[in-house]
Amino acid sequence: MDAVSQPELERIERAGGADLVVGILDPEPDGQAGAAVASVREALAAFSADSSKVARAVVLCNNGTGGSAATAPHLDSVDSGGQSPTVFCYNLPAPDPAETHQPSMSHAYRSVVAVGGRLGVRACGVIASRLRAATPQWIFRLVQPVLDLGFDLVAPRYTRHKMEGLLNRSVLSPLHQALYGEQLHNPVGPDFGLSGKLLQRVLERDFGASRGAERDPLTSIAPTAACGGLRVCESHLGARTQPPTDWMNLSSLLARILGPTFLEMERQAPFWQRIRESHAVPGFGLPEAASEDGGTVDVRRMMESFQLGAQNLQDVWGPILPPMTLLELRRLSRQLPDQFRMPDDLWVRIVYDFALGHRLRTISRDHLLRSFTPLYLGWIAAYALEMETAGSSEIEARTERLARAYEAGKPYLVSRWRWPDRFNP
Amino acid sequence: MWDQVGQALSQSMNRMLSEMASLLPGVVALIAALLVSALAAWILTAILRRSLARIDFDRRAAQWGFQALADWSPAKSPTLLATRAVAWTVMLIGFLIGISAFDVALTSQFVVRLFAYLPNVLAAVVVLARSVLIGAVNLNLQYARLLSAGVKWLVTVLAVAMALEHLGIGGGIIRLAFGILFGGIVLALALAVGLGSKELVSRSLDREASKSSNQNMQEPVGHL
Repeated sequence: MDAVSQPELERIERAGGADLVVGILDPEPDGQAGAAVASVREALAAFSADSSKVARAVVLCNNGTGGSAATAPHLDSVDSGGQSPTVFCYNLPAPDPAETHQPSMSHAYRSVVAVGGRLGVRACGVIASRLRAATPQWIFRLVQPVLDLGFDLVAPRYTRHKMEGLLNRSVLSPLHQALYGEQLHNPVGPDFGLSGKLLQRVLERDFGASRGAERDPLTSIAPTAACGGLRVCESHLGARTQPPTDWMNLSSLLARILGPTFLEMERQAPFWQRIRESHAVPGFGLPEAASEDGGTVDVRRMMESFQLGAQNLQDVWGPILPPMTLLELRRLSRQLPDQFRMPDDLWVRIVYDFALGHRLRTISRDHLLRSFTPLYLGWIAAYALEMETAGSSEIEARTERLARAYEAGKPYLVSRWRWPDRFNP
Repeated sequence: MWDQVGQALSQSMNRMLSEMASLLPGVVALIAALLVSALAAWILTAILRRSLARIDFDRRAAQWGFQALADWSPAKSPTLLATRAVAWTVMLIGFLIGISAFDVALTSQFVVRLFAYLPNVLAAVVVLARSVLIGAVNLNLQYARLLSAGVKWLVTVLAVAMALEHLGIGGGIIRLAFGILFGGIVLALALAVGLGSKELVSRSLDREASKSSNQNMQEPVGHL
């Protein structure tokens, strides 16, 4: 909680605390602190019609100026009808230069959540996407369901073309749906709206004191809300700008995201084993149409990577995947591009087996997660080939079918989770 | 004079006989320990061989993903590998017990050094080889397995040389042999890369660099 110093926190508390904390975590702020505060002001202006909603707000901003967190805060206010919401603005601590993007984002998230919990706010909004794409409407749409309608978690729903959000489509979203019974399109955000109750639940958990700890708040927020019986909804935010894929470090990305996801799965095992079916969550906002032209994708490299993995990683996959799965992967690696299709049930079993292998530490967890990369690239290649000429409705249907496959395969996961040594061909 | 010579000879003979007599119990103990350990090894391997044959271990090992074990085993039989490993382990233990009859401190120091060092070396070799293999596959290197095997053997040779030097076995001969072997390997690789494969390496590096930059520019793929 080093974003805001203790004296400043006490000053805010003496002034009556705060109703709202907004974290602006743009990874490349380029001096856009002013734009961040302006966005928050504009979002708060929508509340000013009913001034009982937000009287005081704290904005935690990553403006990339570096230096110590003890930057002199400035008091900012929005004048609206004589009863102005007061805005306190602070800078987040500069990330460690040795840290990569993901750990620094996790630490920034922890800072925002910690400040919100300490001040006992009613709502907390976090914008972790590029500020250029995020509008003031994003802040409003993430926070308004919490303040007005009593929801505890507002998850984002982005407008995406078919080749975006692939890790979400292939693993994170359907896995969350099958395990926790909630149909969320982006269970790891990164833009979220949280209630004070959810903030306290999140803070009670041990995130780990040091930076770069295994647990990641982004992967634990949605499961915490689901397992705590809190009210969850989704909000349409529009298109999200993403940085280009760094193909040289894809395995690091998978390790950073899937590791905490599997850890959370292990922690919440007593809960998700009882869930039988999923339900849709309420949605707010109007969905925007995604552009049909997603550009061309060269699947040859992805298929080569998958084939190379199938040839060379049998010894690594052997302790994790059962023999039938290895056989199917080998058969798949010999298929021609026009016949290259990864069946949903095969993919689901692979993900579940990797989750189990992560839990049992069959091999080093880092090796296990990185060896998942060729399989993931194989799935992308099969998906790209299958959806080459598909429209948005077909893509939605495809995503839904995969989610149903995860739910249908859950008994397989539960039985292997409980009896990992049972005979499994 | 002949009496004195006779006395000197008889004294030296007595000393030699007393030294031999003092060593004799240790030798007898060593031989007894070896015989007992041989008997124990024979019994254990017989039991193990029957048990593994009953569960068809050779076929199951391949099913369980230990195909490499079958490839490495003598006569492609993991059962034979397991029984021989058990037999030699029991014999080694018997030998160490027999040695302790001569000097307990020597044995305990040797055992502590050996068993403290080996697991770390084995674990390091496995972890490093697997890391190299996964990393090479993720970089789309066609020679990933060859690279991993090469790294594994280089690390093993290095670790064995370090262990022998640490144990004080061989001394300068080991250092010289290792230096010649390692230096020869590195020199051969340098010559191969520098002279024989420079165009191939250059084309391969250009291809990898252009693949990664083209991929970043052209691939409209997002993951989160």
